[in-house]
Amino acid sequence: MLNLALTGFVLAFLALGFRRPYLWVLAYLYIDSLAPQKISWGFLKVIPISLISFILAFGGWMLIDYKANSRFTLRQGLILILLIYCGLTTMTADFPEDALVKWDWVWKALLFAMFVPLTLTTRLRIEAAALIMTLTVGAIVINGAIKTLAGGGGYGTLRLFVDDNSGLYEGSIISAVAISIIPLIFWLMKHGTIFPPDWRVKLYGSALVFSCVLIPIGTQARTGLLCVALLMVMALRTIKRRVLYLSLIAVGVMVAIPLLPKSYTDRMNTIENHNADQSASTRVAVWKWTLEYAKDHPFGGGFDAYRGNQVRVELTDTKGSGNNVTTSTREAFDKARAYHSAYFEMLGEQGWPGLLIWLTLMVSGLLQMELIRGRWKKRTGPGETWQAPLANALQQSLLVYMVGSLFVGIAFQPFCYMLIGLQCGLWSYLKRIESQNVQQRAARPALSLGNAVAAP
Amino acid sequence: MIDNFALVVTHGLLALALWRLVQRDDLDTDPPADEAPAPAPLPAPKKGSLRA
Repeated sequence: MLNLALTGFVLAFLALGFRRPYLWVLAYLYIDSLAPQKISWGFLKVIPISLISFILAFGGWMLIDYKANSRFTLRQGLILILLIYCGLTTMTADFPEDALVKWDWVWKALLFAMFVPLTLTTRLRIEAAALIMTLTVGAIVINGAIKTLAGGGGYGTLRLFVDDNSGLYEGSIISAVAISIIPLIFWLMKHGTIFPPDWRVKLYGSALVFSCVLIPIGTQARTGLLCVALLMVMALRTIKRRVLYLSLIAVGVMVAIPLLPKSYTDRMNTIENHNADQSASTRVAVWKWTLEYAKDHPFGGGFDAYRGNQVRVELTDTKGSGNNVTTSTREAFDKARAYHSAYFEMLGEQGWPGLLIWLTLMVSGLLQMELIRGRWKKRTGPGETWQAPLANALQQSLLVYMVGSLFVGIAFQPFCYMLIGLQCGLWSYLKRIESQNVQQRAARPALSLGNAVAAP
Repeated sequence: MIDNFALVVTHGLLALALWRLVQRDDLDTDPPADEAPAPAPLPAPKKGSLRA
């Protein structure tokens, strides 16, 4: 039944694209985020729906869509350079077969991020992309949140639709992504036109935000806790009643801590005492290895270069308290450990040039959103109040993602490039609108001057 | 059960959103300028700025 329903939904989604080709772009965003072919077990598994939606999205835009308003921006150029660079490192990779496996999905994510802004030519399209991304990630989030409330959480044990630990179904990744969509949810709740703000939208949106916050608890991913903390601090920038907000957070934390499972608080305590935690200590050892590796391979070792690492970790156990503290040291060995950080992932795989391009791409996104925010925040006219909050939301989302990626290897996660695509689209769209406005303003004085002359 | 609930709720909303999108004219082109809100006035020149 589920299989049939999902298949029917995907086919109907693709069929609607024949009426409005932009829907194929949305279909790709949906398929690439949720991967319904993994949840289903029949028809969807057999046909390559991801590839089909990819081709339809491109083909629809190339053949049917109106392209006069599409612009290629500087950041899309950066994505193109990164794509070419990754292609080159794949050809010379330390582990060519493994590198090809990763390249197989990375090029699609990068190409799509470069392409999406070309299709985001109206306000409604930008909103629709944000809505589809949010609702789709929301499916995984709601699933995880209910299971967490029902007691099914735990590090590496929270099952999200599938027994698969890849893409958004990996605990640490969904923790970072769930928190990073919260600003978008708030924006949609206030400025949405597909689902205009009313009590139902507020109810669903609030429940979705609550579910997002539950994900780091359910997955027990420490990264998620950092992301939540960052988002709470960033919210201070735009919130009006700061004292009330801080008081509510203080009360919320005091109420929530006793309700958290012990396994969760134990795991969060290892953020402070990471010496006794092999996962965290191995991470630090891999980062040191990567820095050394980059000295010999400044242009990167290609995708999955981490497979060549061998690290030795010293773990310190501390027992007792006060004067009776005893410490013991033990050794642990590990090899082929993943980077567990997007920054070191870029450095190890794409070298210093790759890391520089990637950082420029990220930081320029933060700056562009800041510029939009500055330009539009004081405008209060009809149709002029959604831009600054959206730029603010996209900036916060990316910043949360960047902090999450300090401890998770998500440099090439397609979701990140969807966010970047949305940012590029918004930037390009508003640039065009503003230049049109300037032209209109230039035309108006001339008109009024003409009227004045003609008047008796 | 939980899986089905999360999928049904989300896909119901996705379907409704897509249905509404298909029917909206402003999906492919923004409303014409005369229907769109008037652009904001140009910012006033700063004090001390050079005059043309």
